[in-house]
Amino acid sequence: MERTRAKYERLIQDLKSELRPQREWGEGRGIFLVIGHFVVGVAAGTWLLSLFFDSRAAMASAFVLGALGGVSHLAYLGRPERALRMAMRVRTSWIARGFWGLSLFLAGSFLYLAPLLPSGAPWSGESAIAGAGYALALLGSLVLVVYMGFVYTASKAIPFWNSPLHPALYIAYALRGGTAVLLVGVALGAKVDAGVAELLLLWSGVTAIVAALFLLEIHGAMTGGNPAARRSVRELFAGRAALFFYCGTLALGLLVPAMLVWTGLTGPLSLGAMAALGLASVTGDFFMKYSTIRAGVHLPVWTRLAPLRHPVRAP
Amino acid sequence: MRWGMVIDLKRCIGCYGCQLSCKAEHGTPPGVFFARVLKQEEGQYPSVRQLFLPVLCNHCEEAPCVDACPTGASFRWEEDGIVDIDPDKCVGCRACMMACPYGNRYFNDNPQHYFEQGATPYETARTARHQTEVMMKCNFCRDRVRSGRQPACVANCPTVARTFGDLDDPTSEVSCLIKERGGFPLHPEAGTRPSVFYLPA
Repeated sequence: MERTRAKYERLIQDLKSELRPQREWGEGRGIFLVIGHFVVGVAAGTWLLSLFFDSRAAMASAFVLGALGGVSHLAYLGRPERALRMAMRVRTSWIARGFWGLSLFLAGSFLYLAPLLPSGAPWSGESAIAGAGYALALLGSLVLVVYMGFVYTASKAIPFWNSPLHPALYIAYALRGGTAVLLVGVALGAKVDAGVAELLLLWSGVTAIVAALFLLEIHGAMTGGNPAARRSVRELFAGRAALFFYCGTLALGLLVPAMLVWTGLTGPLSLGAMAALGLASVTGDFFMKYSTIRAGVHLPVWTRLAPLRHPVRAP
Repeated sequence: MRWGMVIDLKRCIGCYGCQLSCKAEHGTPPGVFFARVLKQEEGQYPSVRQLFLPVLCNHCEEAPCVDACPTGASFRWEEDGIVDIDPDKCVGCRACMMACPYGNRYFNDNPQHYFEQGATPYETARTARHQTEVMMKCNFCRDRVRSGRQPACVANCPTVARTFGDLDDPTSEVSCLIKERGGFPLHPEAGTRPSVFYLPA
């Protein structure tokens, strides 16, 4: 009862404020949505890169991550028992498209990977079933890489997310996450058809793209004229999401991996350091998504376009 | 036909009658407000005035909540343009909440009641039809409207600040008020084509 009362009081305070913070995605059970989006993005990026670098261990990791992401999504839903209904509105809803993407990915990757297991499967790795699985998983992973950014872009209530750069940023995140998983895989002895230096350069390139897109998005939010977007940036850099941003995203997700990459490019990198690099990068990506979601602020209902003016503070 | 509402900001006195009558009509739990009233001050001493902005679901013609809903739980009635929620289809993903630029959707997450002692018999009776863990919103009191009555917030406004009618009929009172008094919607830049208009204060 106390918790419910506190939540109610906070909602009333939020409704009274002109710039209402977004709490549904990211707080309380909303953390499962952030985890789900994050893990599914990493899974899709890992799958695509493991196809490119021919790493079956990484493919298996992608399948497991995808399944965990699906479970996390279900844990977030108010009525998970109705989840199959989410396939209904694929014509207009990005969440429905994501549901299809994850379903295709999980089904396809299972069909493709099952013959490779030691216990085998009733079909061979060269059969039409495995080929269909390959195609389905590829299609599903492409949908997954793309859909998440569009879920946020379609959120008209949160101007900070409502940026055309968000889909590109999420695609870059997925690839960065995939590269990090490959690095962890190499550190654990998985066969990857790429050298360590190649993976480190790939990580650096994708990270540079992520940083550039993020800075452009921040610039757009600050100069776009929307007070809610500007407040979101403030929340990210100096508000309720700042700790996660500085400690999680910048320190753990950028500085630590960058130092390890520099070490790896200028000399030998131990397997432990390589695993730490991948894990730090992935953790940083999680905090990046978490902090930007937590920084979301609702569009104010009072509008300047209407013949009503914003309040003027008393002298 | 497209039901719409016009709210005269010059007449609104911020009495919360709309909010209370809506609560009484729908028996919404704590934290769910199909209708609410926002307050703003403008001007500088000694010329200061307080403005009230009653808000509710805008029943948009191009409703972003309907597009964002993955299950079809959020939908728009073809025959009258009212945007509604089928609670039996809602999965509680809250995508509609993030899509609504007007912030008029609520998640009914727990069985809640107003008093520490527990739910009153009135609350029990009134909230029995509400599902938990799903979204809730104003539906222009569709049951009342279908039976020929006005929405509760319109019928109970003591200053007659609210007018309800058919926006598709150019001779209806709402259409005339919008035309003659310069009615405007909230956030027209969002391209949602709302069915709730405001007359300037």
